[in-house]
Parts: sequence; C-alpha cells; structure tokens
Amino acid sequence: MNISKRKLSKMLSEHEELKAKRHPMFERNRFVKFLAYFMVAYYSAILLFMGVMLPMPMSHTYHGVAAFHVLDGWFFIIIMIDFWLRFILQDTPVNQTRPYSLLPISRKFLMRRYLINAGLSWGNLYWAFFLVPFAFLSVFRSMSLGATAGWLIGWWLLIVLNSYFYLLIRSLCTRNIAWAMLPFILHAAIICIATIPEHNVLDMPCTNFMYGFAKLQPVCFIAVIAAILLMVKLNEKVQGIILYDEIGKKEETEVKNASQISWFNRFGIVGEYLKLEVKVRMRCRTLKMQFLVLIGCMLLLSGLLYFTDIYDNMFMKSFICLYDYIVPGMSTLITIMCYEGNYMDLLMSRKESIRDMLAAKYYFNSALLLIPFCLLIPLVVIGKITIWMNLGYLFFTVGVLYPMMFQMSAYNKETLPLNAKLTGKQGNGAQNMVSIAVMFVPIFIERASVTLLGDPWGYILLITLGLTGIVTHQRWINFTYKRFMQRRYTNMEGFRATRK
Amino acid sequence: MEIKINNLKKTFGEKVAVDIEQFEIKSGEILGLVGNNGAGKSTLFRLILDLIKADSGTVFNGDVNVTETEDWKQWTGSYIDDSFVIDYLTPDEYLQFIARITGITDDQLKDALKKYEHFMAGEIMGQKKLIRNLSAGNKQKVGIVAAMLLQPKLLILDEPFNFLDPSSQNAIKRLLVEYNKETGATILVSSHNLNHTVDICPRIALLENGRIIRDIDNTDKSAEKELENYFEINQ
Repeated sequence: MNISKRKLSKMLSEHEELKAKRHPMFERNRFVKFLAYFMVAYYSAILLFMGVMLPMPMSHTYHGVAAFHVLDGWFFIIIMIDFWLRFILQDTPVNQTRPYSLLPISRKFLMRRYLINAGLSWGNLYWAFFLVPFAFLSVFRSMSLGATAGWLIGWWLLIVLNSYFYLLIRSLCTRNIAWAMLPFILHAAIICIATIPEHNVLDMPCTNFMYGFAKLQPVCFIAVIAAILLMVKLNEKVQGIILYDEIGKKEETEVKNASQISWFNRFGIVGEYLKLEVKVRMRCRTLKMQFLVLIGCMLLLSGLLYFTDIYDNMFMKSFICLYDYIVPGMSTLITIMCYEGNYMDLLMSRKESIRDMLAAKYYFNSALLLIPFCLLIPLVVIGKITIWMNLGYLFFTVGVLYPMMFQMSAYNKETLPLNAKLTGKQGNGAQNMVSIAVMFVPIFIERASVTLLGDPWGYILLITLGLTGIVTHQRWINFTYKRFMQRRYTNMEGFRATRK
Repeated sequence: MEIKINNLKKTFGEKVAVDIEQFEIKSGEILGLVGNNGAGKSTLFRLILDLIKADSGTVFNGDVNVTETEDWKQWTGSYIDDSFVIDYLTPDEYLQFIARITGITDDQLKDALKKYEHFMAGEIMGQKKLIRNLSAGNKQKVGIVAAMLLQPKLLILDEPFNFLDPSSQNAIKRLLVEYNKETGATILVSSHNLNHTVDICPRIALLENGRIIRDIDNTDKSAEKELENYFEINQ
C-alpha cells in the first residue's frame, strides 16, 4: 500500500460522507431531507422528554427506590429495542467494504476500520438523549458526578456491545436467515424469565451489575470491554468469511416454484398481472419477508383480541380490528409501483399495461383481506365484535381506503430493490406520512360514524361507502391510471435514477 | 413503419443529449445508429419510445405522435436494457407473459419461438432459471426475443450485440436481416460494433453530441471507411 493508513482512512471517511449526502432520495428531494432531520430531532426530543419526566414517577412507584435502580433492573428492554431498531438503520461492514475488496487495500484493515467505526459511531450515543437527563436527575442526585459518568459510560459500553452483537447476527443472516431466530429466542427467553414469575427475577442481578458502573467498580467495565473485544474478534472472523462468500457468490439458480398458476388464466390479461403479484412474493426476498411479517402481524393482532382482555374497550377493539385490515394495504400499497420501478420501461412500452397492473393489484390486495376477515370470525363467535363490524371494516378498506392508497401509484417514483437483505431502508418521508395518516384517519371516521349512528347503522354506512368504491373500481382505477400517465415522465426519471 | 422526427431537443442540465431538426426513417429500413459514448443514441431511442420527455419537438411513429396516444405500442417492439425484462420470472414464464398480454396464443408462441431456437442455443428455454440468474448475454437474448415476439412493424434495439458471444452476434444479425425481409419492418439498431452495423444496415446515422452529423448511405456497404476515419480506427 503506497498510501498511509491514516490518509486512506480519511479518504474512506470522505466516501462514507458522500454516500450519505448523495443518496438519490435526498439529492432529489429536499422535503425528504428535511423530514429525515425532523424525525431525528423529533425522536430525540421524545427521548429527552422521557429522560426528564420519568425519574420522579419511577422512584415514586417503587417506594423511593432511586429511579436508575428501577431502570437498571429492566435495562435489557432498552438493549432489545436498540438491537431491533438497528435492522432498519444500520448497514453491515460487509456491504461497506465490498466496493474496496478488489483494490490493493488490506481487507483486514478495511474490516477493522469499519468495525471500530461501528463501535465509535455517533449512533451509539443516541440513547444519551434519554440517559443523560435521566442520570442527572437520578444518579447524580443520590450519588456523585463521578458515579453519573460511570453509569453513563457503562450504558454506552453496553450499547456498543449490542451494536457488535447486531453486526454479528446481521452478517450471519446473510448466510442463513434462520440466524435471526437466535436474538429472537434469546430476547423472548429473557422477557419470559423477567415477566412470568410474580417478581422480575432479573431485577437484582441487573441492578447490581449496573450499580457497579455507578460505583466505578473496574470488574464491571473490564467485563463489558472484554465482551466487546470478543465480539469484535468474532465479527472480524465472520465478516471476513462472509466477504469472501459475497464476492464469489453463486446464487442457487434452479427455481423451485416454476408453477404456471393456471387458475389465473380465466382472468385474461389481468390474470397475467395477478400471477406477477403471486410470483414476486414467492421469489423476491424483500416481498417474501414483507408478506410473512404481514401474516404474522395479522395473526398477532387477532390473537391479541381473542386470547386477552387487555384491549377490550371499544376504541382499542375498533382500532386493532381496523388495523388488522389496514396492515396489508399499508405494507404493499403505500409503496405501490416502487418494486415495479425495476421493470418500468417494459410496462411503459406496452399499451395500457399499467392500468391492467393496477386492476390486478386491486383484486390481489382485496382478496388478501379475506385473511383478516376470517381471523376475526372467532371474535364474532365469542361476541367480542359483531359481524357488522367485521363486514364494515372489510368493505370500508376495500372500497374507501384502497382507492385512496392507490393514488400513491401516481406519485411514487422511487424504485425499491426486490431482493434487499432483511429489512432494507424502505419508504421515503412522504410515504411514511401517508402511512401515519392511513393508520389514524380511518379510526376517526369509523368512530364518528358509529358514535353518530350506533351499531349496526354506523357499520352499514361503512359498508355502503365501501360498496360505492367497489362498484366504481373500474372508474377510479382508470382515473388513477390517467393521473399516472400524466406524471409519467417525472416518475420514470425517478424510477431510473433510483434503480440499482 | 415510418418514423418522423421534427425539431427534437432534449437537454440534461447544460448537456445537449439530443438535438435533431429533421430526420425521417422510411418504412422497411434498417437504420444503424453509431456514435461515441454520450452521443445520444439511447436518449434518442427513449424519446422515440416516449420514455423521457423531450424539451421540444415531436416524434411520429407512423401517423401517431408518440406522446399523445399509446396506439404505437401495439406495433413497436423494443429492448434497451435490463429494465425491459422481469427478472424474477423464468425466460419461459416471461415470454409467455409477453405473449399473453399481447394477444399471442400459446400455440402461436410455440411456433414463434422455433425461429429463435438457434439464437437461444438451448441455454434459455426450459432451464428453470430465473432471468436474474442468467448471464448478461442470455438475459439480453431474452429481451431481444421478447421484443420481436409481437412481430412489430418497428423494432428498436439498443446495443444488441453487447454481451453476446460471436456465434450469437452472427445469429442476431441474420435474424434481423431475415425479419426485415419477411415482414418489411423498420429496424433501428444502435451499436459500437462498426463491422456488424455496416453488415446489416443499409443506412447509418452518425451521432455526435446529440446531433446527427452524417446520414450515410450504406447500400453498397461502403460506410466502413468513413466510419473508421471518424472513429480514428487504424490511425
């Protein structure tokens, strides 16, 4: 290597900065950039608020026990949240080092550098927005400034350790997705151990361990630092192997599910697009995962209402049941056309293919709603909800919410990868805003309707509104298609610019 | 199918990508488009296919202004890049999809594919491989076959010889010439391979900075010298 490691490291840092700065999504859209900064500021403010507001009531609830002891007893919850959030926000060193892997730069140096950077990343200090005010209002009040610093450093070390554990799991997941089960089982086991007995049995050992940081006991720091070093070493080993795997990757090429799905032939051209809807979910990692998560989500929501009585008040019942119906649309229709951006030129070079595709998407997503409908039937049987409510939500979603969500097809212009690993960064700011609106606006319409007209007439109104949308679906799909065609140049440019 | 271009202009920032005052491609012609990287070949194709918006000017495909209706798509086949194929389908599924959405029956498809058997060299159909797992050359073959499947009156292929092995390059040359003879279709081909372009195109347009600087008659295959001079080959 002719260049010094320091200079090289500086150059690589510049590349990282440019990568973030020149992300196509940000480059083309100032609003998205603003929204990203706004969301960071917003969540920071929430953490700060919690850090200031929580110590007092926590201490009060636990009969005067210092709030940090209470938090320490449950510290693994923060660690778990931090871990799973990383799947959305953090890239792996393998992805970052790959572009340099064929250059005359030592791979070991690259890997080490990225691993060290991952540990020292500002992202690992994000919890400080919560922990710093919390520490000053709790540790500092009952101990000293040194104890506060020790406690905070202890937390930071644990978050760094967590980040390396995440990197290890995330990298192993690229080899086999089943590795995701390891943290899942581990976290589930910890939660069970902590919550199933009457008292949190982990409370005392966790509190004592964290107290060690506040008391500046070297053994606590040494233990965590040793664990970090071990994790770095493990990461280095695993990432090295995976980098070789990735460079010489040979994907399994024989397709196992080359079914004709000839049942769809009866629907003519729309049937061909329906086949695409099914096949894309069978063969593309991103959509396969999305579909599985979706099914899991619907099962969870229905199960929550069926097996527990914690959400038995009317508002929560309505919210959860309605959400059960909204989830499929939210996960697939908010980003409608984004996956098709990968082959948009093909669609645009065939007459009216976009309209047929939109129709197929409408039928497919409507049929998908039979799943929540069936899942909610047991709730009807045990009398937790009425059949009118179930039907009302079904028709309201298909006939009112779907036409609204379909409008995104005229405005989405960012290609999303069909085979992103695990949860890639998906959806832009505008899509997230629409998701939030879709989550909360329907419940207010539903509540207003049922409060004004009562049960079942409120739901009958929802059914009527829904039926109107269903009966007129050809017209509004046509309208959406025309809107798409009016904006085709802008959208095509966006799809092209974000295609990988 | 006749193509008429009038005052067509497209710029990307300061860079002029296409600037063509008048250009006409007669029905049944095979036109080769040559030029260095960034000369505007692909942009011109995208403008003809209404995939990008022109700053000004018009493109007529037959009697149809391509920006006003989609009717021209019924007689136009094209392959420019990967975004013209659905890569999570197998080639069989993809070609069947294209056939069905363009009203070709399964029997007609079977017959039509016989013509391309030599070109596909037994490496594409019936392989149970997704298109994304094919080599770049085979992926390109799938795209080209799909573009020709509809028996279009206008066929547009951007760099069709790229990624192909020498046998396949010769096969596609033969296919294009025969297809033109049989159907009288207009064919537009862009390429960096001057030999192939000279071999199959009786007319060659040379693009530079978005402008057609030479419209070369190559009916007697005499364009090679002129092109070699322009591209400074053998100098």
